[in-house]
Amino acid sequence: MSGKASSSQSSVGLSGPGGLSHVYIQYPPLQCEISGSRGLFYDDGNKLLLSPTLDQVFSWKTMPFSPLVAPTSDTISEGPILSIRYSLDAKLIAIQRSNREIQFWHRETGETFSQSCRSESESILGFFWTDCPLCDIVFVKTSGLDLFAYNSESKSLHLVETRKLNVCWYAYTHESRLVLLASGMQCKTFNGFQLSSAGIIRLPRFEMAMAKPEANSKPVLAAEDIYIITVYGRIYCLQVDRVAMLLHSYRFYRDAVVQQGSLPIYSSRIAVSVVDNVLLVHQVDAKVIILYDIFADSRAPISAPLPLLLRGLRRFNSSASRSGREDIESSEANVVSGNETITYGDEWIFLVPDLICDVASKCLWKIHLDLEASSAIAASSSEMPSVLEFLQRRKLEANKAKQLCLAIVRTIILEHRPVPMVARAMDILVTNYSHSIKTGSYLKGIKSEKTSPSTVPHVSSPSAVAEVTASRVGALEKSVQHEFAAGVDSELFNRSSTLLSSDSEDNAISEPQKTNSSDIHFFYGKVDGENLMGAETSSTDVQPTSLQHQLLGPSNNALNANAPEQQEAQLTSPAISPDQMYSFIFAPIEEEMVGDPSYLVAIIIEFLHSANSEKVKVHPNLYVLTIQLLARYERYAELGLYVINKIVEPSKEVALQLLESGRQNIQTRKLGLDMLRQLSLHHDYVLFLVQDGYYLEALRYARKYKVNTVRPSLFLEAAFASNDSQHLAAVLRFFSDFIPGFQSTSDHNTYYRILNEMNSSIAA
Amino acid sequence: MGLSSASTATEAIKLCIFDLRRGQQEGQELDKILFFFPADLPFSTQLSVIGLSEGLITFTRIFSPEAACELIEAERHSHVFYEAEPDIWMVMIVEKNESEAIWRIAALQKVLKEVHSLFLMFHGSIRALLEKEPAGGLIRAHLHPFMMDYLRDFLFGKKLLLPSFRDCLKECGTVQMLNVSREAAIEVQSLVRLLESCAGSSPCYSLILFQDLLVSTTLSPVDTINLFTYAVLRLTPRTISSGVSSWSYLRKGSTGSSVTAGYTLAHSASVPDQYYCLPDTSPSGDNNYHVVRPLKRDRWSKAKDGFLVTDIWSAEAGSSTSATPTIWLQQTEERMYLCAYQFRSLTLILVVPVASILNGEQLVSLVKQQVLENASLKMLKVEEKLSKGWGGENAYHVSGYRYLLVDVDRNVSRASPPGKVTTLTKDQVLRTVIVKGPKVGRLFPLQFSIPKVVSLACTTTANVNEVWHKKF
Repeated sequence: MSGKASSSQSSVGLSGPGGLSHVYIQYPPLQCEISGSRGLFYDDGNKLLLSPTLDQVFSWKTMPFSPLVAPTSDTISEGPILSIRYSLDAKLIAIQRSNREIQFWHRETGETFSQSCRSESESILGFFWTDCPLCDIVFVKTSGLDLFAYNSESKSLHLVETRKLNVCWYAYTHESRLVLLASGMQCKTFNGFQLSSAGIIRLPRFEMAMAKPEANSKPVLAAEDIYIITVYGRIYCLQVDRVAMLLHSYRFYRDAVVQQGSLPIYSSRIAVSVVDNVLLVHQVDAKVIILYDIFADSRAPISAPLPLLLRGLRRFNSSASRSGREDIESSEANVVSGNETITYGDEWIFLVPDLICDVASKCLWKIHLDLEASSAIAASSSEMPSVLEFLQRRKLEANKAKQLCLAIVRTIILEHRPVPMVARAMDILVTNYSHSIKTGSYLKGIKSEKTSPSTVPHVSSPSAVAEVTASRVGALEKSVQHEFAAGVDSELFNRSSTLLSSDSEDNAISEPQKTNSSDIHFFYGKVDGENLMGAETSSTDVQPTSLQHQLLGPSNNALNANAPEQQEAQLTSPAISPDQMYSFIFAPIEEEMVGDPSYLVAIIIEFLHSANSEKVKVHPNLYVLTIQLLARYERYAELGLYVINKIVEPSKEVALQLLESGRQNIQTRKLGLDMLRQLSLHHDYVLFLVQDGYYLEALRYARKYKVNTVRPSLFLEAAFASNDSQHLAAVLRFFSDFIPGFQSTSDHNTYYRILNEMNSSIAA
Repeated sequence: MGLSSASTATEAIKLCIFDLRRGQQEGQELDKILFFFPADLPFSTQLSVIGLSEGLITFTRIFSPEAACELIEAERHSHVFYEAEPDIWMVMIVEKNESEAIWRIAALQKVLKEVHSLFLMFHGSIRALLEKEPAGGLIRAHLHPFMMDYLRDFLFGKKLLLPSFRDCLKECGTVQMLNVSREAAIEVQSLVRLLESCAGSSPCYSLILFQDLLVSTTLSPVDTINLFTYAVLRLTPRTISSGVSSWSYLRKGSTGSSVTAGYTLAHSASVPDQYYCLPDTSPSGDNNYHVVRPLKRDRWSKAKDGFLVTDIWSAEAGSSTSATPTIWLQQTEERMYLCAYQFRSLTLILVVPVASILNGEQLVSLVKQQVLENASLKMLKVEEKLSKGWGGENAYHVSGYRYLLVDVDRNVSRASPPGKVTTLTKDQVLRTVIVKGPKVGRLFPLQFSIPKVVSLACTTTANVNEVWHKKF
């Protein structure tokens, strides 16, 4: 399939059901074609894609992911490269030259030094840099772990600690700071260490389950069948059991490893990615992806298996505003069309968490989750509340998730779905909001136009999802990038806070949870170098405080990304506030709904119920709306109950609405008046009393509470209207006594004359 | 309500219902009488009572065509008039006694009004039944057992005792409400919405009681009062478990012991029907009519599934309506099925329109099933919340006071708990203290209506200020 072909196919796919997909990769990819490249390596500690040539190493930043990022290069000496990783402060380059030696290169000075195994019997399996306070780099050898600290003065490593273990192979991700060491005949016995900034934690030894094909055969677990993933700050290990065709999951706690159940697999070759805490299981042979949200206990997939979509090929050219990109664009398009873009080709290597490296065409794809599509697909198959829960957990595209949530809730209310179901949906949204308030991840920064209903994509049917226009794809992608960048640093905090809360729920969560979200996976590039060169030792001035870099790096990213589109970047949580619930759900629905309002009232009650149990304050307009609904259908008895029981919380807006609705119903009007009085809105209370003709009572009240803002003429008019000369006289006298200078006003003169006329007519 | 608890002999109270449009010819006077209590009184006596009443009505109508006679104060009796329907009058004659010089006429009228409202709810208007069968047999067959069942609540031994204001503070035609927290109120409303959704698209109503107190209603005020009255008379857990109407202060209050209550139960059950001339000896002498007796005591029971069942309606053989209880709503003039469910102290009454479905029995069982399936959990929660928030029977007691609060706008009243009545000495009872609304505002945010208090609680008009310690 050529690039052109795939482009046309994807555009066809977008408009037809064949194009349904919840996961996509966005064209263009990051091109990492370098002439003379000797393989691709991924440094997950720094999130760099590395491509060494004979005497240089090129590196591309993959975070934030941008296809336009230019590589930086460093000069290195020639020699075979088994593995290459930058130190966490990016001052050193470590290159594994052989299974016995690792060479270090100081980037600034070009000095080198090397470290090799002492014993003949052991060989180095790999290494990784760590931000553990005890050491800076860890060598994984067949005989165990060697922990070295780097001394910047002597420019050498010194051994801090050795952990003796038999190791067949190992797995490490920087994201989890967890190294798993496989041992035993079947390589299914594991020792685990977590080397985080808080220190070293040794996990209890455990065995992975493996089904036997026959009674006496013993399958050997391979390193490719193990994935360490981080989801919602929890660390899991996924293990492929090829015989049973199951993906076993294990969760790591500080002092325990707990098997968490298994997922079925449908392909002999699978790969695992994590995008925005959603687990993507690529069934490589079948070329489909199954999504799991393993937050809840449920092991059911979010939606049916669907293929990976290549999106947006050549779409950018249509956008004039991006003229700056165009030339690069077209050249890249040529590159792609020159090479084969085959999804799930043999050359694809999946990098946890969310990158795909196509080794053949030398490009790097980032996997995106299409929230709209996945929620629409999920909505058609599974329960709505679980979809909402899923969306509420999304952080990368918080704004989109939020809009989808609003649209879903609007739809289910308009469709008159059963009340308990909508109640559940309300509960999810409110709980999530209150949780996000508590953890501080909810920021009020959304401009109203961004969330205005008209711009909200309506996701009631899959076909609506398919109508994604080219321009929107572009725009979305742009915002995705920014949000992503911003999401990184917020995630640092979000994570730790969610972890804390999850701590409380199953108080055995391990240290790993404190790790931040930087992703890592090691990547075995195709090393073609057979010539092992001697290590050049050099020393460099590097500050071993890798921690500093860790803290600075992401926040710098976030700042850069924040600058252009602050509004979007601010939104880091899809939580919906009660005010927004009113403006984007209840108010629009009230306009659209016809007929008996009892359903909508029921929904509002459920919302209040959720809000009350979470102690979240509700917009007074919602109460006003409730009163309007009840009054419109003359359900005054209920209305009264709502007010008396304070289901409708007192406020001036509510009181005025009660007075308004009470025009047809005197009890309701009295409730409104009482509410005004109880709220000490004396001026309004007096005014309404006068309006209703209780001018004497109003006067008494005005005297008691020293209300002098109501015009005397109102009282006088009311008294005159009652046609009672005594009352009129009393009112006149009242003002003469209590308002200095009243006797000289025109009001006094007018009504004094009227009073005289009335008296004289009576006398006559 | 200040009815007399004086040891009035049965014959000291007379109650009659008559129609002015009937029996205008000489010799047909008996036609007028629709109901007379006691029924064993000679017709001549009955006719003389009615003749006097009719004469007075006719006479007073000359001056006041709209509201004719309300009361005759004779030397030893008071005649209380109530025009239930146009030209259909209810007259109650009670014996005066020395200790209570002034009768609480308004309260007695309200009793008449209440019994008529209940009759309307179950049977429709008297006039309609008369038109159905002009001979009058049908209406007599309905009225007699209905009135007797109602009066039986006041039966004490062989005597018919109307509770006096000393025994109770009660306002007929009002409901007593439970104070609930906002949280519980929302929970309740959520339950209400759920219940009403159980009936599908048909517009149904609900009423929720906790013990004898109203928690929520979606019915119109007038129907709420009727159904509430009936529920307190016959449906609440207390009435079902003990067979004693919780309505009456007489039984709980003045006697104040369960032993007596038990005695009352046993005794009233043992009173032979013929003594009160129940259907067999009804004046119409016609047993061909099938009459439903919704006020008959001890006929409601709680089924295993929690729904309240009764055989009152089931005997309605040959009629198109089913065994499910039905009532008429006054507001909408619709015929509705009555479904009651009880869970511990919680009583839920669901009112489903008859017209909305073809097969009533099926619909009702469907609704019941829906309620059980969807609302059980919620009811459990609501009951728990309400019980937690409820201070018990004496929750609304204000120590040292007896009070009655009436909100005339909302037809809501609240009074000192009956159990506390006996804790006051006789002197205190006589010098009842009325607490003004705002004083107990925390308990019950009601507007206090002064005219009501005077009409309810004044024993003597002469020395109001001495007797009543009004707290303003």
